[in-house]
Amino acid sequence: MSTAMEALFAARIYAEGQALRRTTLRHVHLADPPLAIAVWRLGGERFRAAAIAWGPLDGPFQLAVPGEPRNRDLYFAALQPFAADLCARVRRAAVSREVRQRGSVIEAVPTDALQIVVPNRATVSALGLLGRYLAYLSDRGGVAPDPVLVEAGRHLRFYARNARVPGQALLLPLDRLVADHWATLLSPFEQANLAALDAQIEPEPGRHPFDASAAAEVSARIGPEPTEDIDRVTGALLAEFNAARSSSTDPAVVEPLAQPLRSHYRDLVEPVWQLMQRVVARERQLTAAPSVSRRFSADGEAFGRHVDWVIPGGYYRTTDTPRQAAITLRRLEDALAHYEADRAVEDPACMIPYLLDGDAIRGTVASVAETKVVVKVRAVSRAVIAVDSPDPVTLPGGKLLWWTATAADQPWQVESVQPNGTGSRVVLMLTAKPTAERLPAVGNVITLSTLCTGRSGFWLLPPVEPPWTHRPDVALLEGEPIDAGDSEQPVAAVDGATVPDPGRYT
Amino acid sequence: MTSLHQPQPGGATALDRVRGRAPTIQANVRRLAAFANVHSCPTAAVAFAARVDTNKVLADTSMEMPYGQSPFAIGRGVAFEALLRRHGHAELRRVLTDGLGTDFSYAAIENLREGFQPNRAGLTMRARVTSSRMAEIAEGPQEPVVLDGAVLRADIGGLPGFFEADEMAIGVGGQIIVGENKSWPVVDGRPTDEDALGAALDQAATYVLMGRRTLEQQGVDSACMSDSVVLVTPRNTGLAPALHRQDVASRIRRIERLLGAVPDVQETAASTPPSVTFDTIADTTLPETVRLDAFGQVTDELGRVYEPASCLTSCGFAWACRQRLFADGDPALVGGSIARALPGIASLSRVAELGQGAPASPAEAPAAVPLARANRLYDEIAAVPRMTQRRTA
Repeated sequence: MSTAMEALFAARIYAEGQALRRTTLRHVHLADPPLAIAVWRLGGERFRAAAIAWGPLDGPFQLAVPGEPRNRDLYFAALQPFAADLCARVRRAAVSREVRQRGSVIEAVPTDALQIVVPNRATVSALGLLGRYLAYLSDRGGVAPDPVLVEAGRHLRFYARNARVPGQALLLPLDRLVADHWATLLSPFEQANLAALDAQIEPEPGRHPFDASAAAEVSARIGPEPTEDIDRVTGALLAEFNAARSSSTDPAVVEPLAQPLRSHYRDLVEPVWQLMQRVVARERQLTAAPSVSRRFSADGEAFGRHVDWVIPGGYYRTTDTPRQAAITLRRLEDALAHYEADRAVEDPACMIPYLLDGDAIRGTVASVAETKVVVKVRAVSRAVIAVDSPDPVTLPGGKLLWWTATAADQPWQVESVQPNGTGSRVVLMLTAKPTAERLPAVGNVITLSTLCTGRSGFWLLPPVEPPWTHRPDVALLEGEPIDAGDSEQPVAAVDGATVPDPGRYT
Repeated sequence: MTSLHQPQPGGATALDRVRGRAPTIQANVRRLAAFANVHSCPTAAVAFAARVDTNKVLADTSMEMPYGQSPFAIGRGVAFEALLRRHGHAELRRVLTDGLGTDFSYAAIENLREGFQPNRAGLTMRARVTSSRMAEIAEGPQEPVVLDGAVLRADIGGLPGFFEADEMAIGVGGQIIVGENKSWPVVDGRPTDEDALGAALDQAATYVLMGRRTLEQQGVDSACMSDSVVLVTPRNTGLAPALHRQDVASRIRRIERLLGAVPDVQETAASTPPSVTFDTIADTTLPETVRLDAFGQVTDELGRVYEPASCLTSCGFAWACRQRLFADGDPALVGGSIARALPGIASLSRVAELGQGAPASPAEAPAAVPLARANRLYDEIAAVPRMTQRRTA
């Protein structure tokens, strides 16, 4: 991102008292409605969801509160409805399919994959850890775990891992959605707070976005990691709950006793749910960019493969092999490059940083001509255009640029750049046969950039046997249950004021 | 080699005045790590030299930052440490044996947290014991030794401080290995919190550096302090401990550079204007506006360097500084990289004016051209929809 653009955004927001759109289009798919999930954990307990709220975002949420999430029986009993509902939704979404052929490969791709939205990236990590925990549960006392928990765990793992793919929309952290589409006075670090982002975009009347977000930072609680004040209340309620149930895990005993905790977490989830509803409704107002459906279709392919593998009982590795890691990295880099190119090519607002950084030119077509050039041994027809840019252009001869209207097609090659008034005249030659679709008309204002949205051929996969430099010293860990410790006695909460150096436990 | 010395009385007097009745904090490795993140800020440097607890100075104002911790998180940490020490450190012995490949079953484990007073005199004694034990270990005893709660005395910016390590696990051959206990879990060989891992390795690297200096002061070859450290963390969902060994040589070099950049307390005291004090700011009996005005005066006088990510995670003044930057329209509000791209331009209001084509001074000219172009392009080609409806209060 261009620093000039970022500085201008900050200055205008400061002066005008209003956040600014970074985009004119929405670059991420939004289902109507998506399934939303909000999670609250116990402090420091990475695998213990003290509360999970879920449901279609256009309606009320369901809430699972185990009471004591560090008790396996209570925890799994509370998670069961959530897991069952998630599995049912995934299976339903995978039923309707369309046949797609790519080369010799024919796939039945789900037409509408299940989209999940969460408040922030921290919740994505939390769901990933919960998925890892549930996906490989061991038998306990000869009793097999509820299969629906295991299946839900595998779905959550898949969603959390897929969330790394740039531009994907299967699991959408809303803080990233908002930060990608809005310029605010918040630094990237502060943008992790969805409430602060929302307050900057829609401050209360008469309030500057800065003041609104500062107030939201103080008051809003988003989760999944609780603040001290939340867990002080939780701690007191949990102590009462544990004392009252006297080690019982009988639902008839526990259900009524968990009511105060349920009420405590319902009060925490309500504002988060409303916030997510508001954010999604606002972003849905923007027209989706043309490439959004293509990317969501690719998400659908990944979703379909996942369902086809997991429902019959397939497992995933928990640690990538070196080869898998190399392939994954390559795919993620490829997805990022394509996502950024799609955004800029389709959305003029996203092209501005490239124009400012000299990676794109914009100007009026002054002339279009055809010429003959010798390519290898034959003289072939080539189009030559002159583009008058109002701004000075610095580009080396031979540089390849793609016209945004044909960014997936062949590039233009810079022939010369000459001063032209206060700007420049850039002469470019098309590197392919000139056709009507490939040529702009004289007088058109066009943009050419270094961004290509076309597929970049095949890339070689790493060798099946990695070289010795990429072989780990120790054998890779197999996917194994990690739940042995969940039978341990829960540790007592400790007031920070009673320990000599509470900072040690940060 | 760093010498240990007390601050001169003059400097101490000046820093006493700077500190006033503000809450203080003893130097520890986390305080040091936090200061390393903001060491380029003059206000933070003076507060560090005066040992002012920046997290508490603005208590009971709207600018007080939340630094409290979940009692469950503290409980987990306490329980994990207790687990390692239970039954004569049985779990710690097992995990060190498994992880270091040396039998720690009969290792001498000296718990320096017990038998010493919980005050400065006690820390001084623990530091002496640690120092002498380290020298003995460097000679290569037969059996492994573990110092639980070792204390290292070090001079930071001319200010002596005590730094308490979790363990110093001593392996065979006289090698000293620093150990840290952390209660966040590791799953599939990966930490569940990468930031926490980085912070823990930084802490351990700081202890290695201080341990080397301690040995050098005794004329002992510091090469016996290993570049690799051990982290003991729970594995998977429970508290069962596991050991992880990690090389921190590059972190040691970085921390050495950072410690070298800590301003000398004497120089800081000498260069601090007489009017600077945190006394008024910390006075909870005064109205908030008076305290925040006093904070503004202090930071205006000393200067401030605001970087959102590092300040907001490391300094209790961050919200107050951010508020001042907003009031001043300082470009640093959104990050130093933006401010550095705007040489010669003092405020965001001026940036907006230049964007709209206001004539630029010679100093502003280099930044003004791209700003004006950015503004023109945004207005011309973006045709961006604006918010038309505001939410009602």
